[in-house]
Amino acid sequence: MRTPPEVSQVDFASAIAEFKRTVGQEWVFTSDADLDLYRDAYSPFLNEPEERIASAAVAPSSTEEVQEVVRIANRFRVPLYAISTGRNLGYGGSAPAYSGCVVVDLKRMNRIIEVNEANAFALVEPGVSYFDLYRYIQEHRLKVWIGCPDPGWGSVIGNAIDRGGGYTTANYRNHFDSHCGMEIVLPSGELLRTGMGAIPKAETWQQYKSGCGPWIDGIFSQSNYGIVTKMGFWLMPQPEAYLRCTVSLPRYKDLGPLVETLNYLENSRITSGFPDIASPLNGYPPIGQLQLWNETGPPALTDEHLKLLASATLGYSANREAYGRRTGIAYWELWLSFHGPMEVVEAQWQATQRRFAAIEGAKFRVVNRVALPIDPTKAEDYHEPELGIPSLRAFSIGARTPWSPTPSKGHMWFSPIIPRTGAAIIEANRVFSAAARDLNMPLFRTFTMPACFWERSFIFILATPVTEDPATNKRYREGFKKLIEVGGQHGWGEYRTAPVFQKTVMDVYSFNNHALQRFHETLKDAIDPNGILSPGRYAIWPKHLREKQS
Amino acid sequence: MSRHLRAAGQASAAAVLVVLAGEVWTPVRAQDHPDPYEAGKAVYTRWCAPCHAAGVTHPGTNALTVKYRGVKPGVLLEWQDLQAVAVKFVVRHGISVMAPFRKTEISDQELDALAKYLSRNTPPT
Repeated sequence: MRTPPEVSQVDFASAIAEFKRTVGQEWVFTSDADLDLYRDAYSPFLNEPEERIASAAVAPSSTEEVQEVVRIANRFRVPLYAISTGRNLGYGGSAPAYSGCVVVDLKRMNRIIEVNEANAFALVEPGVSYFDLYRYIQEHRLKVWIGCPDPGWGSVIGNAIDRGGGYTTANYRNHFDSHCGMEIVLPSGELLRTGMGAIPKAETWQQYKSGCGPWIDGIFSQSNYGIVTKMGFWLMPQPEAYLRCTVSLPRYKDLGPLVETLNYLENSRITSGFPDIASPLNGYPPIGQLQLWNETGPPALTDEHLKLLASATLGYSANREAYGRRTGIAYWELWLSFHGPMEVVEAQWQATQRRFAAIEGAKFRVVNRVALPIDPTKAEDYHEPELGIPSLRAFSIGARTPWSPTPSKGHMWFSPIIPRTGAAIIEANRVFSAAARDLNMPLFRTFTMPACFWERSFIFILATPVTEDPATNKRYREGFKKLIEVGGQHGWGEYRTAPVFQKTVMDVYSFNNHALQRFHETLKDAIDPNGILSPGRYAIWPKHLREKQS
Repeated sequence: MSRHLRAAGQASAAAVLVVLAGEVWTPVRAQDHPDPYEAGKAVYTRWCAPCHAAGVTHPGTNALTVKYRGVKPGVLLEWQDLQAVAVKFVVRHGISVMAPFRKTEISDQELDALAKYLSRNTPPT
């Protein structure tokens, strides 16, 4: 049997015996074969000594069992690492941040406690996936939408507390922002409810977020201060109609005005669906079309266009722009979506066109004008998550396709936040493409467009492949870290990352001699004095391991 | 939790509050099906179909189509020679970008049912 570092075999055997008494023999895993299932399938340290692995796994089925598991871990000083559905692929999967942890697998806690249609919220446990919640809503014919990311098997809670996002309207696609109320097992085993949930008779736990006094929910995201066992989410009432449109602009210099106009429209809620900026002239698709490109191949380009693609700097050449003007291929194409009553979304689209008409040469197109709900058998005609429908189509990234006959083993997401301006897109491409070329990294090789998941900033979400070859993985790991550092030098930081990069990322958040990191450690020491919960998650180490890690 | 549910129910008589037997909803599991064939089909539908159903919008199907180039069907359900042992191996070890499935997702009992279901066309050796 494997043993966690700094825990005696006798103590570990006692802890395992108590875990078994708590959750049942069947739900404690200690064999190598069973623990292999807790490896990060997309680990960039695949099959290398540094790969993070578990010493055991325990799968409680209730909050009370989680509390008891935590108390046992405290008694024997056994480090735990909590996962929800374990499908955080590209950001660490189901493996611990610190090798030797006992993984607390919350997948069996898969209860949908409530879906309230009249006030549009849900209360769920961590093992509930987007598929589960969607199927439940469909089975019960409830008129609410979920916000989901591309991989539908992820945890509604897990993605929210790793601060992930989806593709519906602005106030629902930021999954942590759309939560309302948490239940948390603290490292002591004590149970805490946040917001209105702290009032024993409150009927408003999922209706008012902050309660009174310090609002602490944020510290339980991307951290190791507790195990979230329930969480409420605001859902979007099913809209009556969906309008998907594009705005095409002909000149390179239109990028700045495009972003400024988008910002005005989005921050005024004239458009609130997921905005998606493509560059047809640069051969760069909107994210919403990416899965289609992976499945059926990218659109065919003329030889002249291909030649022009090979000869531009930062996505620009005068010849390329002239080619676009001649052929009608847009430099920039902004995809916008509107949700609501048909007469409302039509009016929003009219106002949007009026604003963009100030840019010379702007062209407008309606792609979809749809009464909702759509026929579920037609869902694949769309990028499903933009309609609140979960799928696994995004796994065409990296999978074998006619256009990519050599599949990868997985990927790690490079995902820095940059300012929401046209100038920042060009500057980030200048900096990252030079660095990626020097590092021989397969990123930023073309002019790369950021995504608009978050309302007030841009984010790049770029898949760096994981391969079967350790030498290639080493080069990509080191290049990945270097890109993080280069971004940091320009004020750009990752929004989320896998455990193997969490220290590098958090080192970038260094204002005032790493005051933020030191505050995280102060909290850790106060909340988890024995340092048993998810040591090292987001580079927050308990006192007894801190010096060893630095 | 029961207190919260009652409270929520009282909060709005008009609210459509959906609480199934035993207060909460959980996914149907294979052991809920007395018929092993139906049990295997339930596991397939829940865990495999999103990637392996027919059509290029399913990455697993697309990948198998390209890999086997007509020698075998892209759709897993159409294979005539899939061995139960191979199903079990791939589910527990993964392949390419398909990550393995843990026992809290697909239990050994469910995997047995799935393997039988997916190998139902395979003649016994």
